[in-house]
Amino acid sequence: MGPGERRHHARKNAPTRRDLIAAVGLAAPALLLSRTASAAQEDFPAKDITFIIPYSAGGGFDNYVRAIAPVMEKYLPNKVSIVPTNVASGNGSRGINQLYRAKPDGATIGIFNIPGMFILQQEGGAGYDLAKFTWLGGMGHDNYGIGVAWGSPIKSVADLRTLSQTRPVKFTTTGPEGTAYAATLIGAELLGIKAQLITGYKGSSDYVVGAIRGDGDAVVTTLPILRRMREGQALRILATFESHGSEKDAGDATTLGQPELGQIVLERLIGAPPGVPTRIQAILADALAKTMTDPQVVAWAQTAGVDLKTETADEAARIVRDQAAFFTKWKKVLIAG
Amino acid sequence: MLDVWLGGIQSLLQVRELMFLALGMAIGLMFGAIPGLGGATALALLMPLTYGLEPFTALALSGGVMGAVPMGGSITAILLNTPGTAPNAATCLDGYPLAQQGKAGLAIGAAASANAIGGIIGTLSVLAVLPIAKDLVLLFGPPEFFLLATFGLVTTATASRGKVLRGLISGGLGLMISFIGYNEVMGGERFTFGVDYLWDGVHLVPALIGLFAVAEMINLSVRGGAVSSNAGAVKITSMAGGLLETFKHWPTVLRGSLVGTVVGAIPGVGGVVAAFLSYSMTVQASRNPESFGKGNIQGVIAPEAAINAKDGSALIPTLAFGIPGGAEMAVFLGILVLHGMQPGPMMLSQHQTEIYGLVWALTLSCILASFIGLLFVRPLAMITLVDSKILVPIVLCVAMVGSYAIDTNIENVVLTAAFGILGYLMIRFDYPRLTVVIALVLGATAERSFHQSLMIGDGHYSVFFTRTICQILIACIVAWLTWPLLGGFFRTRKSVVLGREGRR
Repeated sequence: MGPGERRHHARKNAPTRRDLIAAVGLAAPALLLSRTASAAQEDFPAKDITFIIPYSAGGGFDNYVRAIAPVMEKYLPNKVSIVPTNVASGNGSRGINQLYRAKPDGATIGIFNIPGMFILQQEGGAGYDLAKFTWLGGMGHDNYGIGVAWGSPIKSVADLRTLSQTRPVKFTTTGPEGTAYAATLIGAELLGIKAQLITGYKGSSDYVVGAIRGDGDAVVTTLPILRRMREGQALRILATFESHGSEKDAGDATTLGQPELGQIVLERLIGAPPGVPTRIQAILADALAKTMTDPQVVAWAQTAGVDLKTETADEAARIVRDQAAFFTKWKKVLIAG
Repeated sequence: MLDVWLGGIQSLLQVRELMFLALGMAIGLMFGAIPGLGGATALALLMPLTYGLEPFTALALSGGVMGAVPMGGSITAILLNTPGTAPNAATCLDGYPLAQQGKAGLAIGAAASANAIGGIIGTLSVLAVLPIAKDLVLLFGPPEFFLLATFGLVTTATASRGKVLRGLISGGLGLMISFIGYNEVMGGERFTFGVDYLWDGVHLVPALIGLFAVAEMINLSVRGGAVSSNAGAVKITSMAGGLLETFKHWPTVLRGSLVGTVVGAIPGVGGVVAAFLSYSMTVQASRNPESFGKGNIQGVIAPEAAINAKDGSALIPTLAFGIPGGAEMAVFLGILVLHGMQPGPMMLSQHQTEIYGLVWALTLSCILASFIGLLFVRPLAMITLVDSKILVPIVLCVAMVGSYAIDTNIENVVLTAAFGILGYLMIRFDYPRLTVVIALVLGATAERSFHQSLMIGDGHYSVFFTRTICQILIACIVAWLTWPLLGGFFRTRKSVVLGREGRR
């Protein structure tokens, strides 16, 4: 090829003005998006944050979120509002599904009832996978315990076992997809009590009052509720599912010889959609941790009789894995129940 | 006891508390009038604002809201056949026909006075029984709930005089719809077709908005004209007549207030049951039952007295055990907990002044709201003269937005539209909507309680016959079913005897 031919070939294959404009046109949005994404992370939070509560207003989880949301705003880098939003339906699955599908930009977070949400996932068709959420931390947990009506002739767990040899012990509880139902079935199985569950009560207050009224022989519920009812001489606490009990004259997991009872807990974890960038997760987790030790929140917890414990993001992820393993192990008992 | 009552009043009669009560009342009136909002939404929005308030001030604000919501709801129920809150749906049945006859002022006046009197009777009842609230709540268990639901269904079935078969069909339809959703006893979903929204069953408030507001607007647009064709009859003096009607029909007021007080105290039953039960019992007791549904003033007085009476007694299970009687009480529970007042057996002994102060706040708000409602009767009544071409699109928009606003679910709007079409067909073919509503509300309770009762009784039906309250309820059901026959027999016998004496 001669010089003239080479020049012609080079000119023929040189990028034209149209090629250059096309290249800029394609590259610019990509550069802009990546700059926007990193700028968004740099500016986080740039807009209000929605805090999804998967239950109706007025309930326990609602109270926790409304107590911490205004305080958590103080610990975010930018001045934005955290807006508690009730998305109640499907025993909480609707709200968690909404969170699962939300954009992973940190603008949506939510509170989780573990193991409640896991039990729904295990039933099938829940629409989310708890292992994939971005965990921010936790607000502590409540242990369960067994109570009987104040005037009941049953004085101990041994009495319940003795009774179950003549007929099943009746426990009042929620429907089969509730956390209390699972806690009751597994607790009874571990303690060697043949149980008959009277289901259909709408919430914790409802089935606890059922036990006080005498609809059933006993009830398995969280310790704060048992203590409140004991204070009013409506219920007596027979045992707690704690490893080392905090109740005098009541058994615990260790004295009852069933350490697994300590894994039956109600956890309140805070999470975000899958795929939230690490930097944003760190900002939210840090703000949550500082909120939990804020004097205003501590004062509220003391007044409300709430046992608040801070759990880090890693601890929250570990709790989810442990609870998943525990309830997978007991799946057959729950289905048979 | 008296010193505690007075302590509650004294704590309330402070400038700050009265200002917040008035604010709550204004918010309650507004939220009660707008369909889909109601007391639960108002309290939920106010909850974070109460965070910085003293507990007693927060209770005064909450009491102001809860006491005023029913009056707001009754205004739209009467003028536009749009229940502002679910219980006000019962007021639509005779309130709206009165508005169509140009007697909106009469209806609103009667509603206001029935509201106030019902609220006072409810308060006095609550004050009297609060010390034994815990024991009262424990008297009612699943067998009692089942028989109470049955009693409710029986009263509405017998209220459909002249169209018993249609009433039964409507009731059956209501029961079938009530079974949609998650089965709380055995688990599993029924008739949800995989739709998450239906997991909790058919949502009541959007259904009622459709059944009454949307249906009536469809009917009005087909018919044309305005709500009232009688402009001359829209007189301010009829408001005074409305006030007097309540005193003329004092047995109706008393009956409604007592029904509201008793039903309100039963957890989980709610204001809709109180209002419709009071209405049905009034129809049954009337010598002119055919006039109901066509503008009988007692059809307004009965449910309105029950609605406000139930507000006070709904506090009993809420405070004693933390069991809310409805959505509004559920949110109110949250406000209590936020301010360090844990509902439970100790609540009534540890926070006596706050509790009695709250009851007085409810009553005062109820009376003030009734008074405010009366002040605006004339301009409000003018709404009935607006042409349907203007009114129908506005009301439909408000109804649909209100339905969406309940919990920001677009499915609510679809449900409202569906029930709107159903409601119009029921109007068109003269099927009673009363029986659909009461069956929709009571069906799930009846089913759940029945299964629970059999579990408690180890499968034996004797559980329904061996408890004292159950025996009383069975007697009431039998009496209700046989009274029309016995009444007819005695009237026939009396006319025969009088006839013989006349011939002599």
